[in-house]
This record gives sequence, structure tokens and C-alpha cells, in this order.
Amino acid sequence: MEILVLVKAVPDPEARLRPNAAGTAPDLDGVKWVLAGYDESAVEQALLLREAVPDSHVRALAVGPAPRTEEVLRAALALGCDGATWVEPPADLAIDPLLAARALAAAGRRSPFQLVLVGKQAMDDEAGLVGPAVAEHLAVPDFGPVVDLRWDAAGGRFRFARAVEGGLERLEAPPPIVVALQQAWNDPRTAKLQNVLRSRRAPIEKVPWPEVAAALGDRRARSVRTAFRLPPPRSGAKMIEYSTPEEAAQKLVRALREEARTFP
Amino acid sequence: MVDFALTDEQRSLQELARKFARTEMLPQAAACDKAGRFPEEIYRKGFELGLMNLNVPTEYGGSGLSVFDQCLIVEELARACGGMTTSIIANCLALEPILLGGTEEQRRRLLPPFCASYHLASFCLTEPGGGSDAGGLQTRATKDGDGYVVDGEKCFITNGPHASLYTVFATVDPTLRHRGITAFAIPRDSEGVVPGKDEEKMGHRASSTGTIRFEKVRVPADQRLGPEGEGFGLAMRTLDHTRTPIGALATGIAQAAIDYAAAYALKRHSFGKPIAEHQAIQLKLANMAQSIEAARLLTWRAASLIDGGQRGTLESSIAKCFASDAAMRVADEAVQIFGGYGYMRDYPVEKLLRDAKLTQIYEGANEIQRLVIARELLTRYA
Repeated sequence: MEILVLVKAVPDPEARLRPNAAGTAPDLDGVKWVLAGYDESAVEQALLLREAVPDSHVRALAVGPAPRTEEVLRAALALGCDGATWVEPPADLAIDPLLAARALAAAGRRSPFQLVLVGKQAMDDEAGLVGPAVAEHLAVPDFGPVVDLRWDAAGGRFRFARAVEGGLERLEAPPPIVVALQQAWNDPRTAKLQNVLRSRRAPIEKVPWPEVAAALGDRRARSVRTAFRLPPPRSGAKMIEYSTPEEAAQKLVRALREEARTFP
Repeated sequence: MVDFALTDEQRSLQELARKFARTEMLPQAAACDKAGRFPEEIYRKGFELGLMNLNVPTEYGGSGLSVFDQCLIVEELARACGGMTTSIIANCLALEPILLGGTEEQRRRLLPPFCASYHLASFCLTEPGGGSDAGGLQTRATKDGDGYVVDGEKCFITNGPHASLYTVFATVDPTLRHRGITAFAIPRDSEGVVPGKDEEKMGHRASSTGTIRFEKVRVPADQRLGPEGEGFGLAMRTLDHTRTPIGALATGIAQAAIDYAAAYALKRHSFGKPIAEHQAIQLKLANMAQSIEAARLLTWRAASLIDGGQRGTLESSIAKCFASDAAMRVADEAVQIFGGYGYMRDYPVEKLLRDAKLTQIYEGANEIQRLVIARELLTRYA
């Protein structure tokens, strides 16, 4: 089985972001980039399927600028992906999620695949658009976030579930399909030292830009970020003095009701 | 030109170690310290990732890292917990005599089991009667047929109670002093090997340290590492390789101390402003930063000399001695910056002070390091 995993570099969730001078975007100077958390889960799911289905291959695919995109592809290789493909857009081309999806679909269709895995959304823009849009461009069904994804070799189809209110909805579909992954449904592995070293030397396939450009036509990013602000700082906390837990609870409820007006 | 920049590969190794340290070691560090618990589950995970046998070449299944790359990893691990780091890297020390003194047959036989699955090995040099005076060790190896009988006691052995193999230094003739010392690889399940209890320690409490008694243990000749009487040189060459990562371990403890102290100084207020704005605190932080920077660079230089094929005795002794003294000073100042809170066990810095202390004592006490430095220095003028 040929599995494609779409991955993205996002600022380290622990990094402290500040607005740039113009207040239009985060200042990304010196920020550490990491493989997006949901994408890590997608890679993990791909590797689990490869372990379960003989003769499977996992290829990580990303669009974005150097060096961060190459770095997350190497991170995917270090986790165990068999190959990596990189679409590097020209520096002057702003990429929004829909353009990214067109570029990824153009790169993805260069070789056959049975499954496309994607994180349900990236942790930076939280748009959640790339998976469904890639499916649209590839003319492949998209099932959104799923859990418990398995390959039924006898039936020649994927079996999986979607979390719905109060339970799970069981589904099955023949390949090829696009599905999304989210954290908490698997426990992404940590790269082993030898794999990290190997990943540094592994080749990364680069898609010639003209091939992708043909799929983009004259399209430009449709969405532009106009402002980026930090949430307002929280006002001071009030400490409650007490001598017994009962007294603490009573004073807290009174403060919530009368001062913070949390309850009517 | 001298280039202090790390390669992409080295930054990846550093990142791997940092992630393991933060996600696996740090969350357990305080609890293991308090309880004196040996967190074997963390060591097993470290083994699975390839963090345990860093110096063993890949042909035997190890990670095959240069001393420099080992230092990068060890510093990151030690930022989370010095004690756990000591236990994780103890295999490097214990297996080094096999790498340096073993025959190819011995390396092929003894090393792969440690790389194929989780097993600990311990380096057994120190004895109750002395550690720094290695030439005067008392454990006897008496020739017996085609093998030896080893009899004696070793103490302060890292991972000793948990190890499955011991690299043991014993003398075939105490009157020969250094020239009688011979090295052996002794499996724990040999008859007469009696591991003692875990010692209660001031710091490095997540590491295990114990006494191992060898009661008339029969050791076949093919377990002898190197020729008879050359064990002392083998022990010294081993320590030349492993001393530098101890400098990195001390640097990691110091880095953790300044990380906590600087963050605390920005948050803690006195006299109407964060204490970081008081010069008294700034001067402390500046001195701490200088010590750490110097410690790291000395370690890096010693490591790259050794990787370049030099013995590096002088430089590794300088690195270990300076970095461990620096760790002690920096951790001490971190406690001072935290004030009363720093003395409390609910805060992380007093542990760093206790952990830093050991780095001045083990892997060759700093007094011995200074003697080595002076000796190496004076030969250049003689």
C-alpha cells in the first residue's frame, strides 16, 4: 500500500510569539519550527498501517519554504517514513491553505497512492482546509478526522470510525481516500537516534516548481492576514484568605457570585 | 578558522536528547530524587531510542557517536536530571574497556547483547579502601589453571545492583602496584558475584550506586581484557574518553540552574521591581553565564581533540574539573537567587546543588584532575 502523509512546519507551541513591528503577522525571527502535532499523529497512523500491511510505503509530502519545510520532512523521515517529497514555492509567492492544497495535490498525483493522511488542522493557522481541499483536487473522498483506521485486506477496503456525539460511527471505504488524524487517538513515537542520523543523509525528492505552477495557473493566495495581536494581559488575581477548606469554598463561591458575577 | 557552529546532524541529536529529557526525564526528576527511585522505565525508553550505548560503534549495534556528539546529548539529558543521566551513560563507561582493550572476538561476543536489548553494565574500579589511588587497589586476581579467581570488593559502583556485566580491575600481584592491575569482564551470574544494596546518596538519587563483592569468582581467561598487568593503563585510557562527557553533564546541571534562576529573577519582585532589575542579581547571573559558557567550550574542545585522535588527557581533565566546579558555583548561586524558596525541596534548585556536588567527586576527584593537569603541564616545560 502506498501511503501519503501531508506534513507542515509550525512554530514550536512553546515559542513565545510576538507581533511584528507592523502588527500584521507574528515575528517569526529565530522561532523554532516543529512538525505540527496533528501531523505527528498522521505520521504515526501511517507507520502503524505500514507495520500491519505487508509491502507498504509511507511518503511524507510538504509544501513550504526552506529550511523549515525540509526540517519537518527530515523529522518525518526520522520517525520512519520511507521517503519525502518537498514542494518549494518561489520566495515571492504567498501560500494560503487553498494554494497549498493545489500544490500538494499536484505533487501527490505524480505517483499512485491508496491513502492520504493529514493532520486535522495545523497548530498555527488552525484552518483545517488542506485535507478537504487536497481531496477535492485529487477527486478522492475525504472523511475528515477518523479513529481506529484499519485495512481490511480480504474486503479490499479501509475500515474506520468517526467520533460523533455520544459514540462512534463505523464506516468503510475502498481506496483511495483522504482521512484526517487528531492527537489523543494515538501516541506518536519518538524518533530513534540511528533514524535521526539516517534521516539527515536521506535524499528528499524535490518536485520541479514548473510542474506545480502549471496546476496553480495564475492563482494567488485568496486570504491575507491583516493583523496579529496578542490577547490582552489578564488583570490581577485575588487571593482568598482562609483557615479551613469550608471557609475557602464559601468565600470563593461568594466572590464568584457577587464580585465576578459568574453565577446569576 | 575555528567554527563553533553545530552541524544539522548535531543539532538533530541535541534536539532528540532535549525532547527525551523534557518529556520523559524532567516530569519524574523531582519525585525520583525525593524517593531515591531508580526509574528503570525511563532508562528502558532511553535505551530504545539509542541513548544508552552512545560510544559503541554501529557495527556492534551501538550508536557510534563521537565524544563531541556524546557531550551534546549528555548536556541536554543532564539539564533534566543529573542522576538519571549518570545511570543512562554508565554503560558507556563500563563498555569502554572492552572497546579499547578487548580483542575483536571479545567485542563481537560482549558488546552486541547490550545493544540488542536493555542491559546495564558497570565499571568497577573504586574500592572501599580507595578510589583515586587506583594503583593501590586490593581486589586480587589469582591465576587458576587456564583462568583466574577474582576476590575482593568494589564500592560506589554506578548501576551496580542492576547490572548484568561488570568490567572489573583487579591485581595479579599487589607488590607490582600499577603494573599488576588487570581488567576482566565478569558476568553478574558468575558464582560468587554478590551485589550489595543501593546506597542512600545526597544527590543523583535517581541513579543507583552500590557495592559489589567478588567472592572467589572463577573467570575464564577469555574474559580478561588486554594483557595481564595492563589494566591500569586501560582504566586511564577509558577515563580519558569518558571524563569529557562528565564535563558536559556538569554543564547541563549548571545550564538548568541558570535557566531556573533567570526565569525566577524576572518573576520575583522585591523593592517594587523584579529582582532581575537589581544589579546584585544581575552580577550573579552574569558570572553564572560566564562559567557555563567557558565550561561548555572547554568540553567541546577536549572532545574534538579526542575525536581527532589525540589523547586529550590535559584538556579533558581541565574540562571535567572546570565544568564541575562551575556547576557547583552556578547551582549555589541559583539557590541564593531563589532565597528561602531555593532551600525548599518543593523548588528545583537545591537538587541541582546536591547533584552538582558529585561531579566534583566521581570520574576522578577534582584534586586528582588538578594533579593530572599539573603533571601534563610540567612535562611541557621539563
